Amino acid sequence: MSAALAVTLNALGLYAVAFVLVAAFAAQLILQELPCPLCLLQRIQFTMLAIGPILNVRFGPRPSHYAVSLLAAAAGAAFAMRQLRLHIMPGDPGYGSALLGYHYYTWAFIGFAVAIVAIAVMLLFDGQFKQADAAPPVPTSAFARAAVWLVIALTALNVASTLLECGFGPCADNPVVYEWLKRSP
Amino acid sequence: MEFSALFLAVTVVMLVAWWGSRTLALGLFGATLIAAVAIYLHHATDVLKLSF
Repeated sequence: MSAALAVTLNALGLYAVAFVLVAAFAAQLILQELPCPLCLLQRIQFTMLAIGPILNVRFGPRPSHYAVSLLAAAAGAAFAMRQLRLHIMPGDPGYGSALLGYHYYTWAFIGFAVAIVAIAVMLLFDGQFKQADAAPPVPTSAFARAAVWLVIALTALNVASTLLECGFGPCADNPVVYEWLKRSP
Repeated sequence: MEFSALFLAVTVVMLVAWWGSRTLALGLFGATLIAAVAIYLHHATDVLKLSF
């Protein structure tokens, strides 16, 4: 696999992360379901998953960049598994709505597991690393640059959304209103 | 508050990864990951109000 193809695949990975972040916002805004603290931690890990591909697009593919995403995915999977185990007892309705039969944290676990497998597959192709130190970074396409800026914008939107939801205090375990939009009695 | 700070930290790491030094981005990523795990462990050690 050439470095240019690897960068294109990394850009596609960034669009996949963007899709997850948009889906999370859609559930939050359309279904009026505010993310709980564990949900937010999983969302944070999805954004951290994007840092490896951004480095690959900017500096060219390197094993250390894939390692960054692997660490983020492993932590995200652990956080999602914690929430899965909290609702594993028979009869437990789970937290939030189910989408296609699975709750968001189950989808998050599947997403992190898929990311780990995808990164492992990418690491199989040594050809992309051959000129990592000697050659200048691969020129970035508009497609890749747009992916980077889309993910950065969605992450910045999450700063605003979380501030609206939690304010400057601790987030509620089961949030139902935006703290900053709540009218005082 | 801590989650807003984490999202802000990730945004900064992304901007450094895109515009700044690779080494600094990797270092900031490590610090942010440690902070995220610490916040998770803080919440994971809360007493759970289970119904069984």
